[in-house]
Amino acid sequence: MAVIIDRTLAKIDSDTMVPRDLIHFCELLFTCGVTKIEATPQVLYKIQEFISVGSPLLFNQTKTCFLTIEHGTWKIESNKLIEKNLEFIQIQNLQSEKVRLIGLENLLTQDYETIFHDLINSGAQYLDLCPSNHKHCATAIALEWLLMGGQSISCSFASCNDDANLEEILMALKINGKSGLVGDLSVLRELKNIYEKITGEQIPEKKAVIGAGIFKVESGIHVDGVLKNPLIYEPFSPESVGNKREIVLGKHSGQQSVIYKMRELNLSESGVSTILFQLKEHCSKVGKSFSDLDLLTLVSEVNNGY
Amino acid sequence: MAIEKKYIVDTTLRDGEQSPGINFTLREKIAIAKTLDSLGVSRIEAGVPAMGKEECHAFEKIKLSCKKSEIVAWNRMNLNDIQASLDCGADIIHVCVPASALMIKEKLHKSNEAILEMIEVCAEHIQKFNKMFSIGLEDASRADWTFVEQIIKKASSLKASTIRFADTVGILTPRTCNQTINRIDTAMDLEIHMHNDLGMAVANSVSGTIAGAKYIDCTLFGIGERAGNCNLEHFLEVLDGHYDFGISLEDLRQHQNKLKNIIFKNQKNQPVF
Repeated sequence: MAVIIDRTLAKIDSDTMVPRDLIHFCELLFTCGVTKIEATPQVLYKIQEFISVGSPLLFNQTKTCFLTIEHGTWKIESNKLIEKNLEFIQIQNLQSEKVRLIGLENLLTQDYETIFHDLINSGAQYLDLCPSNHKHCATAIALEWLLMGGQSISCSFASCNDDANLEEILMALKINGKSGLVGDLSVLRELKNIYEKITGEQIPEKKAVIGAGIFKVESGIHVDGVLKNPLIYEPFSPESVGNKREIVLGKHSGQQSVIYKMRELNLSESGVSTILFQLKEHCSKVGKSFSDLDLLTLVSEVNNGY
Repeated sequence: MAIEKKYIVDTTLRDGEQSPGINFTLREKIAIAKTLDSLGVSRIEAGVPAMGKEECHAFEKIKLSCKKSEIVAWNRMNLNDIQASLDCGADIIHVCVPASALMIKEKLHKSNEAILEMIEVCAEHIQKFNKMFSIGLEDASRADWTFVEQIIKKASSLKASTIRFADTVGILTPRTCNQTINRIDTAMDLEIHMHNDLGMAVANSVSGTIAGAKYIDCTLFGIGERAGNCNLEHFLEVLDGHYDFGISLEDLRQHQNKLKNIIFKNQKNQPVF
């Protein structure tokens, strides 16, 4: 069984964080499929009352530790992984070692399949891959490692440590037939909210998998498609990640979008063609989307012959 | 030894603008197109002329404003759409062909045979105007491979210049992308169009480029439907020094930064892709 290590709490400044939030964040990470949570001693100290098993000495060291869960019980174990950069090592020298490979940002432009094959057969006792997202490909590298039989990956939520994105890897595993490695991803929205709370950072609207705006749809062709069958233009459902779909009106809208919105707002469906024509013209001129209030006003104007 | 040349197709003005909340005025569209042209982008997918008068007007102005880039018009398999693109003076007519059973049966309620016939009708109409055209395989990554091959064969027999392979819902991984692009056996130019639903649009575009794609679809800041498209800057960063795309990364960063206020003018939470 592959190991998924989340490192979000491994480099975080936890001074202002309250234990309740940290505990909830960890609970949600375990729920969505994380095997081990790597955290600083400061974080672990803050939530120590919740941890059943582990040496008190672990709280006092400077190195990060791993939080694991077994039958609902949280345990703490020391981090014995030695970090090595693949660029500076010989794969055959990894035998019997417990290693975390770092760097790897250029791996996709190399023969990564052969490199992964050699790593898997290196005889290392434990091999964790922790690709850097410096070149925007860390999710893909970590995913391919797991799909090729790699033992362990390290990543972080929303790539906060410039690691691979936890949420993208989990969804990609699910879509690629590895559901056994994934938990309940409908908690991702809640995880995002608490992440934003504890870090003070806002996740971009269009961030893959967890962005609040990824299920907004405006284009007439796409709206027509998702209303017939959401799978046509959505690789996974909004509900599966705790999100919801929203039809937005704008210059790319078609008749189906207007009818959908009018029904949603309990408006009479008369004059749809005129309304569509006018809203598209307006949006093209001002370079903005059309809000519900804009639609209510336009419908009233059209129906009253203004 | 000279490094291999590859080409960027920028779809900021088409797929990028389809992203809810992103809307460009006529002047903004022209400003973006002129920037892309000056940067050395080979092809600019400037919009969908079938959308109406305003879009056609913008398209014509873009065509006049760009000195080097070829201007592509996006079309459904529909003669009225195609005629609008021909009337706007597009250099390349792109025809989007649904390739997966989900698209063909559930969205269009048509048969595979009907799709192949429609390609023929569209191609014959475009050829009357002596225009270059490309065929796009929408949702190709979820399509039955036999039908993908049939579309490619049909496009080739009709003398399409380019085949666009679209991972419409962003489900490929670099390995599956590489395997898929390698399977395509055609003398036509190959173009790839990747989406970022699983955060892998850049990685898959890199993989598809290495596998043999000649044209790569990108957008500024990676804007596009749902989680976006392949981010042009990020893509060039990964393959810097591996291929010649005719674009300076430094110039791109400078000019892209100037366009930030136009592209994200309506965004409260500005995306950082």
